Amino acid sequence: MDFPFVKEAISQLFSKPSCAMYPAVESVAAPRYRGRIAFYPDKCINCMMCERVCCGGAITHTVEKTEEGDKVTRSFNLGCCTFCAHCMDFCTHGAIELTQDYHMIATKEEDLIVSGTFLKKPPVKKAVPPKAPAAAPAAAAAPAAAKPAAPAAPEGKAGPAADAADAAKPKAEAEQSAPPQPRDDGKPVQDPRTCVYCTICARKCPAGALTVDRAAKTWVLDEDACVGCGTCAEVCPKKAIIM
Amino acid sequence: MIIEALKYLAYVLIFPGFLFCFLTGMLLCGIDRKLVARMQKRVGPPILQPFYDFFKLCGKETIIPAAANRTVFLLAPLVGLAALVVLQLFIPVFGFSAFSNVADVIVILYLLLIPALSIMIGGAATGSPYAGVGLSREMVTVLSCELPLVLVLLAVGKKVGAATGSGLCFSLSEIVRYQMLNGSLLGKLSMLPAAAAFLMVIPGETGSHPFDAAEAETEICEGMLAEYSGAPLGVYKLSHAVKLLTMTSLFVMLFLGGIGGAIQNLILGAGLSGGAAGALIILLDVLVLFALCAAITAAAISFVHAVTARLKIEQIFKYYWTVVAALALVSLVLAWYGL
Amino acid sequence: MFKKLIEESTGKSPWLFHINAGSCNGCDIELVSVLTPRYDAERLGFKLAGSPRHADIVVVTGPITAQSLPRVLRSIEQVPEPRCIVTMGSCPQSGNVFRGSYSICGPLSKYVHVDVDVAGCTPKPEAVIDGLALATKILQEKRRAMK
Repeated sequence: MDFPFVKEAISQLFSKPSCAMYPAVESVAAPRYRGRIAFYPDKCINCMMCERVCCGGAITHTVEKTEEGDKVTRSFNLGCCTFCAHCMDFCTHGAIELTQDYHMIATKEEDLIVSGTFLKKPPVKKAVPPKAPAAAPAAAAAPAAAKPAAPAAPEGKAGPAADAADAAKPKAEAEQSAPPQPRDDGKPVQDPRTCVYCTICARKCPAGALTVDRAAKTWVLDEDACVGCGTCAEVCPKKAIIM
Repeated sequence: MIIEALKYLAYVLIFPGFLFCFLTGMLLCGIDRKLVARMQKRVGPPILQPFYDFFKLCGKETIIPAAANRTVFLLAPLVGLAALVVLQLFIPVFGFSAFSNVADVIVILYLLLIPALSIMIGGAATGSPYAGVGLSREMVTVLSCELPLVLVLLAVGKKVGAATGSGLCFSLSEIVRYQMLNGSLLGKLSMLPAAAAFLMVIPGETGSHPFDAAEAETEICEGMLAEYSGAPLGVYKLSHAVKLLTMTSLFVMLFLGGIGGAIQNLILGAGLSGGAAGALIILLDVLVLFALCAAITAAAISFVHAVTARLKIEQIFKYYWTVVAALALVSLVLAWYGL
Repeated sequence: MFKKLIEESTGKSPWLFHINAGSCNGCDIELVSVLTPRYDAERLGFKLAGSPRHADIVVVTGPITAQSLPRVLRSIEQVPEPRCIVTMGSCPQSGNVFRGSYSICGPLSKYVHVDVDVAGCTPKPEAVIDGLALATKILQEKRRAMK
C-alpha cells in the first residue's frame, strides 16, 4: 500500500488552516463578478432591448397609462436570471448594471425581484415640428408627410413615404458630397451616400420604428415609435446611421 | 445490601458505565473529527459537535418504515448501546475495576460482537436494500477483525500467563495488575507486533476510515443506517462514539497498564494515604486514561482516516487476515517461546 | 431544559441532503465546494448526509424535470420533521433558461413549501453559506414550534 499524504497530513496539523472564515469575515466578490442587478430607471428609454436579449425571460415590464404619460415598471426576476449580463451589454444607456453583490437570499419570491418605475413622456415632436437636417431639406418633407399617416395602417404609411423618397431622390443625389448632420433630439439620421438599404437596422430596431425597402431604396423613420436607443447605428454594417 | 445495590447501580449508570461512556466517547469522537479536519487543512467542527448532533437527533421525528418490524427496529440500537456500556464495566481503569472475573477477556470478545450484531439486526429489520448490502459488508468486516483480535488477546494472555505461572491468562484485571507491578507490555519486544496489530484492528472494529465499506455514505447511503432517523439514529451514533472509547481503553489496559502503577507510586510516594489518596488515584487514572485514549484515537483513527481512501470489502478481508493476523501471530509465537 | 438543549443543538448541527433535479451540475459543484477546505461548512456543523432520513435541510438544484419530480417529492417526504427546503440557483425557482420546455415541471414551489431561495447561476459558495445559515434559523424556529 501507498500513503502519499502522510507528510502532508502531519505538516497541516501544525499549520494554519486555509479556510475563508466567511460569515465572520466578510468576503468581496471578484471585480467583474456578475451579481445582483441594479436598474436605474431614470436612464432607461424603454427600448426593450434587454427583454429581447434575456435568455431566461427574467425581464418583464408593465405599463400604466397616466395623464403625464406611460408609467413603465420594468422588473428583473433574479430567481430566473442566468447572470449572463446580456442585458447590461445591450443597454445603450447604461441603465442596467450587474453589481458585485452576491447575497441573493430570499424567503419569499418577491424579495428576488429588482424593479424600477419611470415615466415615459408622450412624444414632444407633435408640438414642435421636427427639424430637418440642413443638408437635405427634402428629407424633412418625408417624415412630415409620413406623420399624418403614421397612426393608420402600415400600407397607408408606406405609400406617401415612398412618394416622398422618390421626390427627394434627385436632390439627394445632387448633394451627395454633403454629410448629414446629427439631430439634437437623439434620433437616428441616415447617410444616403453610404447606405446600402440592407434592412438590418429595421430588423434590429427594438421599437419597430424603421421601415426600409431595398427595392425602392427608402429609409423611413417613425419618429413616434423611435426611442433613440442607437441600436440601428450600432448594427449598421456601413456605419450609415448617425445618432 | 441496599448500599451494595446502589454501588452497582452507580457503576452501571455513572462511573465506568453510561454517563462516563457518553461524555468521554462523545468527546473522543469530537476530537477525532477535529483532528481529521485539521489534517485536511480545515478548521473543523467544534469539539462538542457530536453532542450537538446527538441532541438534535433526539429532537427529530422518528420515521418507522412500513416494511420494518417496529419492535426490532426500535430496540436494536438500545441493545447495542447496552452491550457497550456493560463491556465498559469489564474494562478496568488501571487499578479500579467494577466487575472482575477470571475470564473477562472472553466476555469482552463476545460483548464486542453484540453492537455489530445489533446494528445488523436493526438494518435487516428495515427491509431496505441498502441495509442488505451494508449488512453483508459489516458481517465480513466483523469476521475479518475477529481473527487478529483473538490472536492479539491470546498473545497477551500467554505472555502474562507465562510470567504468572498460570498458563493462559484470560483475566483483564490480572493482566493490568501484572503490568502495574512489572511495567507496561508495550515495553516488551515480543508484544510490539501485537500492539501494532491491535492498533490496526481499532479502525476496523469502530467502522472508521478506511474500513467503513459497511457504512459508505456515498455509495450505499450509510448502509444499515439508511432508514434510521431521529433518536434511534442518535443512539447508533452514540454507540459508535462509545466504541471508540471501548477499543482505545482496551488498548491502554492491554499494553499500557504499567502507567497505572506509576500513578500509584507517585501518589503514595508523595506521602498521601487513606481515602483521599484512593480518590486522587482514581481521578488521575481517569484523566490519564482519557488522554491516552485521545492519543490513540488520533494515531489509529484520525490519522489513518486523513491519509487513506476507503477500501473494498475484499481488500479489508485480505488485509486483516494476512498483514494484521501475521503480526499478531508473530507475537503469539514469540510469547509462546517465552520471549 | 432538555427542550432548550435540543433547540440549541438543532441550530448547530444541520445535516444536508442534496437532490439533483436535472441540474446542469454547476450548482452541485458549488454546493460541494462549500464543504471543501476553502469554505469548510463543517465548522458550522453542516454535514452532507447520505440518506434523506438523516437530513434536516434539503437542497434542491435543477429545474425539476418530469422524470425527477416524483423522486424529488418522495425524497422530501422522507425527511423527518423539522425540515427545511432550500432551492439553490435559479432553476428550481423558475426553470431559468429551461422554462417552457415540455419536460420541465418546475418551479418547485408549485409542489412544496420552499423555505429559502438562494439566487444566482450558480450562487457563490458564500451565498450558499448565507442561505444555509438562514435555513438553520428557520429550522430552529420550526423546532421551537414543535410540541
